Amino acid sequence: MLNWLKQFLKSIAFWELLKGMRVTGRHFFVKKITIQYPEEETPKSPRFKGLHALRKYPNGEERCIACKLCEAVCPAVCITIDSDESSDGTRRTTRYDIDLFKCIYCGFCEEACPVDAIVLTSQDKYCFENQGENIMTKEKLLAIGDQFEQEIAKDREADRSYR
Amino acid sequence: MVNFEINDKQYSAPDGTLIIQVADREHIAIPRFCYHPKLSIVASCRMCLVEVAKSPKPLPACATPVAEGMKIWTHSPCACDAQKSVMEFLLINHPLDCPICDQGGECELQDQALEYGKDVSRFTEGKRSVKDLDIGPLIKTDMTRCIHCTRCVRFGTEIAGMRELGATGRGEHMEIGTFLEQTVDSEVSGNVIDLCPVGALTSKPFHHKGRAWELQQVASIAPHDCVGSHVYVHTLRGEVMRVVPRQEDSINEVWISDRDRFSYSGLKSPDRLLKPLIKKNNEWVETDWDLALQFTIKSLQAILEKEGGRSVGALVSPSATLEECYLAQKWLRGMGISSIDHRLHRMDFSCDSGGPSPCPTFGLALTELENADTILLIGSHPRTEQPLINHRLAKAARKGAQIIMVNPIQYDFNFKVAAELTPSGGQLLHPLLGIMNALLSQKNERPHFAWLTPFLKNTVSTPEEKQVAEWLGRGNKKVAIFLGLQAQAHWHASALQLVAEALALFCQASLGYLTEGANSVGAWVSGVLPDQGPGGISLSEGKGLNAHSMVKTPLPAYVLFGGVEPEFDLANTVAARRALSESAFVVAFSPFRGGMCEQYAKVMLPIAAYTETEGTFINGEGRWQSFNAANPPPGEARPGWEVLRALTALCGGPGSLYSRSEEVRDELKHIVQNVPSVTLPSLEQRFRRIEPILSESKEGLRVVTEWPIYRVDSLVRRSKPLQDTAASPLFRARLNPKTASLYSIKGENKMRIRREGEFECILPVAVDKKIPENTVHIASALEGGGNMGQQGAVQVFLESNKDA
Repeated sequence: MLNWLKQFLKSIAFWELLKGMRVTGRHFFVKKITIQYPEEETPKSPRFKGLHALRKYPNGEERCIACKLCEAVCPAVCITIDSDESSDGTRRTTRYDIDLFKCIYCGFCEEACPVDAIVLTSQDKYCFENQGENIMTKEKLLAIGDQFEQEIAKDREADRSYR
Repeated sequence: MVNFEINDKQYSAPDGTLIIQVADREHIAIPRFCYHPKLSIVASCRMCLVEVAKSPKPLPACATPVAEGMKIWTHSPCACDAQKSVMEFLLINHPLDCPICDQGGECELQDQALEYGKDVSRFTEGKRSVKDLDIGPLIKTDMTRCIHCTRCVRFGTEIAGMRELGATGRGEHMEIGTFLEQTVDSEVSGNVIDLCPVGALTSKPFHHKGRAWELQQVASIAPHDCVGSHVYVHTLRGEVMRVVPRQEDSINEVWISDRDRFSYSGLKSPDRLLKPLIKKNNEWVETDWDLALQFTIKSLQAILEKEGGRSVGALVSPSATLEECYLAQKWLRGMGISSIDHRLHRMDFSCDSGGPSPCPTFGLALTELENADTILLIGSHPRTEQPLINHRLAKAARKGAQIIMVNPIQYDFNFKVAAELTPSGGQLLHPLLGIMNALLSQKNERPHFAWLTPFLKNTVSTPEEKQVAEWLGRGNKKVAIFLGLQAQAHWHASALQLVAEALALFCQASLGYLTEGANSVGAWVSGVLPDQGPGGISLSEGKGLNAHSMVKTPLPAYVLFGGVEPEFDLANTVAARRALSESAFVVAFSPFRGGMCEQYAKVMLPIAAYTETEGTFINGEGRWQSFNAANPPPGEARPGWEVLRALTALCGGPGSLYSRSEEVRDELKHIVQNVPSVTLPSLEQRFRRIEPILSESKEGLRVVTEWPIYRVDSLVRRSKPLQDTAASPLFRARLNPKTASLYSIKGENKMRIRREGEFECILPVAVDKKIPENTVHIASALEGGGNMGQQGAVQVFLESNKDA
């Protein structure tokens, strides 16, 4: 009898609604965590694994020595390398392709690299419009490396003490 | 037998066995660098130190024989500590450049450092560096990486027979080098690449091309000589990256020749034929297989109808696979073409004419060869022709065998030769008759060989020949006689063959043939002969022309199968060029275009080269060795047997369609097992056929030609690293100083060589004491050597210098 009365009073007073509105009302005044993408972005760890790049030394010489360790370690088998002797007698790649459709962004290639040539940058905004664009060639990777070198270097520096 | 313990387990081994040998037998891991089962023991690297009870210090397992009651521990704290310390010493001066080192991934130092070394380096001082050497186009050096195991040095002394690499200096100043700045020219030099446990000696053509772990390995058989060496072909994404030896102790042990190792470079030649081509109005037009095959058949049929069965000559490469040989003869005979031959170097067939020829095998197994007591080689330079037979001969010589050479010129041998007979004018027959004569006199057996007497009428044995006869006729000794490539290509090849047969009969020796190509025996077995069918069975009808007669008088049409380049491969290149360019129709089945072929051929059909086709080679011992394709043929090229299968089907021949090459092989095997073995006419009968040769005069100059080591087939000729080696000769006429002065020719002169009505050729002269008198020695199959005709008597004139 009492329970019934309680239920009845609650229902005519919209108690459940008020309870729900209380949560809404509280969040109305709390500080928001929603990010207004693309105007805003979440902060990224220096270890973020995004688009790949091939780095160069400050004097412009490519770092990659075609040791093929990244190709060997890649669990998705997305890296294809052809190597040969370059005109100055050093070991260089003649082809360095990464198939981004196959890549699982595990970062093992970066771990395996003895000269920090292949890196995963923090770039995460890229798309492919045509067939075949998913294959990152050596030229494309070196261009990405050139473009983001400062950022790449900063990220490595930040993470250095943990390596 | 002695009993001993390794790691607390009982083992026994024959007295004198080394600890490391027992450990290898029992699969107990002992690290090592300088020890190699095929080389002598030096115990210099100390990596194999093991603990032995009652020994104050650890002992090297590679130099310590097991003894009764010995207790050995390979992984005790003492042994491990010793191994760790040795590894630390080795790494003091070894650069840490594994990522750019070609040996990375297959490096013994890398593997053993991981397993037996310490994980941290205590060495902070500067490392030693050593200047690299340029030792030729085959081997790349990086001497800083050398750990001084001296395997390469011992290989040179013990296997290659040339001390080309040596160690100078001591301790940290020890360096491996060539003493003087020179190249390493041994014909088996490439094996030091496999021997080197680190990346100090690596393959130059493979330099920086790939990694050991990414290569696919396919077992194959080497295609350049009749030894049939076992090899592995390593491919990367369908491209052959390198060829390495595959261990087979009864054939090639662990070695292969440089020719087998580096010829693969020719597969990537820009000359590769990628599509069927038909010549229209003197222009090559690409076409499809159907059209090309139909055009080929129609053209051949038109000529056959007009001119008859003998109007088409078919030259099949002696390195074509068994399946190709069998299907080729089946297709050709089905079309009515009877002139089929694979004996391209040969020019004298008189002893085999009409009758069956003997199967060109070694006559004994290679392992028996090294145990022979007396070996007679006639017209053979095994060092360049079959480098691994040369290795067996060297082993035999080391065991005390008397090796006798009868050659047109003097060669450098890397083993002790008991006697070297080099008759003047390349007349190999005379010393052989001299030996035969001496043998008959010695044994007083003339009555049994009465029929030989007329041939020995004018023969007087020299003391040297008598000595050789004594060695051959000792009785109770194992004697092996071989007819080499130069005896088979000789203008008296038949007579040489018969005299050798007589010698073998007389001395109860084995008679063997060191043949051209990888599959001469296979070609014989499959019936690629003008008068013999599959299994060597004599044809009663439909006998054709042999390789030499086919080009001597030009025929209206030719079929060239398996990359035959008549302008290089045939005995008489001048006649071959004339015959082919005059003929109405030539079809070339070849992996390659380029060269003369484009001028004379009407159709070029691309077939697979050796790593690209499955097949079988029969080596000189008579072993059927099948192999698989390692990589797909480029472009529209197809394996030769598939092309021939299609042709047979198009001709509506009796041939059933084979779905796999094994079916072809098995069909042939069935035939071979069911035909009676070949019986040759008696020696006496066959000797009658060569009678006229023996009355020929001894006088006059004669040209002797020889196929250089890296000019033997179309693939080798396109391998750039091999062509860049010092073994590639120049087009020179080499003369004895005495002969040269007789014709007032000096080293800087040019010489005109002429045979009436056949050819005329002008070429520079080189004076060489190794050439006997009355001999003009010229390397054949060279670029620009096209005007040089066949071997034999010639006239020589001094070319005035102003014309030169």
